[in-house]
Amino acid sequence: MPATSRLWRIVSALTVFALAAAACAPAATPVVQTQVVKETEIVKETQIVQQEVVVTATPEPFKPVGTLRIALTTDIAAIEFPQAPERQAANASWTLYDSLIAPLPDGTFEPALAESWEVSPDGKAYTFHLRQGVTFHNGEPFNADAVVYSWQVYSQPDVRYATYFTIAQSVEKVDDHTVTITTEQPNALLLPYIANGWAIIPPKYHAEVGLQKFAEAPVGTGPFMFKEWIKGDHLTVVANPNYWRKGYPKVAEVVFKFLTDSATRVAAVQAGDVDISPRLTTEDAQSLLGEPGVQIIRYPTSRIYYLAFNNVSTGQGTPLEDVKVRQALAYAIDMDGIIQAVFSGYATRAVGYVAPGELGFDNADPVPYDPDKAKQLLAEAGYPDGFEMGYACPESGYPKINDVCLAIEQQLNAVGIRTKLDLQEANAYWDREAKKELPPLFVDSWSATLPEAYARLQGALAKDETYANWYDAKLDKMISDLQITVDTNARAALYGEIQKYMRENPPFVYLYIPEAFEAVSTRVQNYRPRSAENYYLWDVSVSDGQ
Amino acid sequence: MQRHILNSLFQAALVLVGVLVLVFFMVRATGDPATLMLAREASPEQVAAFREKMGFNRPLPVQFVDFVRRAVVGDFGDSLHYRQPAIELILERMPYSVYLATVALIMAVLIAVPLGLLGGSLPGSPVDWIGRLIGLAGQTVPPFWLALLMILFFAVELRWFPTSGSERWNSVIMPAFVLSLGTMGRLVRLTRSAVLEIMGEDYIRTARSKGLQPRVIFFKHALRNAAIPLISVTTVQFGYMLGGAVIVETVFAWPGLGTLTAESIGRRDFPLVQGVAVFTSVVVVALTLLADVFYAVVDPRIRYD
Repeated sequence: MPATSRLWRIVSALTVFALAAAACAPAATPVVQTQVVKETEIVKETQIVQQEVVVTATPEPFKPVGTLRIALTTDIAAIEFPQAPERQAANASWTLYDSLIAPLPDGTFEPALAESWEVSPDGKAYTFHLRQGVTFHNGEPFNADAVVYSWQVYSQPDVRYATYFTIAQSVEKVDDHTVTITTEQPNALLLPYIANGWAIIPPKYHAEVGLQKFAEAPVGTGPFMFKEWIKGDHLTVVANPNYWRKGYPKVAEVVFKFLTDSATRVAAVQAGDVDISPRLTTEDAQSLLGEPGVQIIRYPTSRIYYLAFNNVSTGQGTPLEDVKVRQALAYAIDMDGIIQAVFSGYATRAVGYVAPGELGFDNADPVPYDPDKAKQLLAEAGYPDGFEMGYACPESGYPKINDVCLAIEQQLNAVGIRTKLDLQEANAYWDREAKKELPPLFVDSWSATLPEAYARLQGALAKDETYANWYDAKLDKMISDLQITVDTNARAALYGEIQKYMRENPPFVYLYIPEAFEAVSTRVQNYRPRSAENYYLWDVSVSDGQ
Repeated sequence: MQRHILNSLFQAALVLVGVLVLVFFMVRATGDPATLMLAREASPEQVAAFREKMGFNRPLPVQFVDFVRRAVVGDFGDSLHYRQPAIELILERMPYSVYLATVALIMAVLIAVPLGLLGGSLPGSPVDWIGRLIGLAGQTVPPFWLALLMILFFAVELRWFPTSGSERWNSVIMPAFVLSLGTMGRLVRLTRSAVLEIMGEDYIRTARSKGLQPRVIFFKHALRNAAIPLISVTTVQFGYMLGGAVIVETVFAWPGLGTLTAESIGRRDFPLVQGVAVFTSVVVVALTLLADVFYAVVDPRIRYD
């Protein structure tokens, strides 16, 4: 029957299409990769050109233009900043607010709602002189009462980032435009916490509408004002015409679209439906190369991957307690080779437990791949024939981690450290890590929410922390010193000492830091994501004003 | 009749108990739910406090009874990610899923039923051929693949539709079409075979020999009888579309229950996952029950002994 044969032709065409699509999708030829190197713009250190705030009698005409559309890879759970659970919700919601000070990419701070500040001689009291004439989006004036009120509201235990506020023991109004913030001990995290987390809110409005309603439509002093939030779909904010940085923001409207599927994000970039699409995979980035009007930027993130040891439970009494053995492990792993093979070269070697862009990063040389040296160190430690040891990884718990773990297994076996990779279901794996039940060798990673390594160091190495499997008394002491060292230079120096110590007495083998890829439309100017994947939109503009 | 309904109700209840048991124990099978649910930075004290707060330190049977007692009144606890009652979030997203499933169902019925009717009454004709092609495609074309191809062609190339989202009036069309295809295929085949079968029945031959017009035979006798299985299948399909649109909703970034489910699983937001699983099961079971009862009501010949 002719109908049947035609039917079959169509069916087979469909099948061929499907096979072709399946075959094309993940494959990446080396030719295409060279192209990537040529055409990507490497943003190692994104720099902010500091903006002078000029207040003149006749302010320049204020004309924010155009719509900026940003894809987020997840639905956002909250737009009230201190309740935002992860980076992308934090980025989107921060457009509504300002804090007293703002973080600069080098780890220092610039004035924001406070024009200046000073520290008491004992390092426990900070006095902030507030900017005058600033109003909230609802017209309410910004003053010392607002700072005190915001601190009171967000110090409550049910606030997700309450720790950012509870770090202050008290916040007191000195006069309408001066507040004093005190901590129990001198605490170096105070300024970073204030700069990165203290959303200042209007007391009258907040008291009037209540917690629930405020969370649905928050008000701040920020460059943008809340317009619309369709849950699971998008968030729209519009320019604040009375923003205190005169002449800003530059765009009239920002729409954050929640696109959870990566193929959808790529299509949205191609169709011009979004201007910025973060967290692309290398494959996505490659598929977007050469797309007219689209630029691919890349930068190292703040997530460090490492091979961890255990000396608080299963690793006790094993060869790992000898520092030479731990050094040998570092020499045994060909990290550059793994980065080439697994990540097509798009990852940075981790040289320590501080990431590039974080305060005090010392940019030391990585440990070279030298299996002979590894064998020699093992022999010196009394293990000329190597030893057997348990080794685990979270199966698919991180991008491409299975491949990385398998490569490490082979390389360790090559120098005589006989391991059998135990790929465990990821959730169960992290559960065991918290219970200190993982084998003496395991792979892990840790990111940062502040441009500092402190939380990562504390979480992975301080005594009795949930996920800490290694204890070193001297290191523990240095980490607690970090908390009370307030002076930025002294902190940077202490980070330097810690990195040096952690290289000589390694608690980990530092592996790699993945790179982030983002697609950015060429109509967007001044967009500069930082290593913790955070960005500020007040000075971003779009060229065509659409 | 009553016995039949009671029997169906009993079966539905049994299925729901099974769902509750599965949902409850699956979360506990991979490890300690407290560490699973909390962020990495949580201190041991916070983990302990959370375990206490959620009641995870009680014996399992006690926890299960408590879970069922709450689930019955729609209380699945607060979502860990959104910090809102799970049921609120589910009800918030529900309208989008209902809208999408309704449009998809209408598309499926409007396209499938005429094709099936025509195809069944004119077997071997070009119309029949198209109907059979859709029937085959509905069962074989993977939705994520069709969705991506449609986005690439209609949104990226032709720019007729937005690539994703729900903002514009025409946003619903592509996701609804992809979602409808499976049902469409099933309905075409069902309608076609029902018509084919009925057209060979004695009473149709009788009607013909009475000299009735073919139009009357077709609409009055054939269509009415073919409609019975159609309506019941459609009802059940609607339930599956509501709860089973995970892939379609995710690819098109449609803010319904499907995206919520996919993201919650990725985030280990277990109260919400439990809520969605139980909620959609209830909807599917209820619709199946409805179809079952309806079937028995309109067709008295059907007896389940």
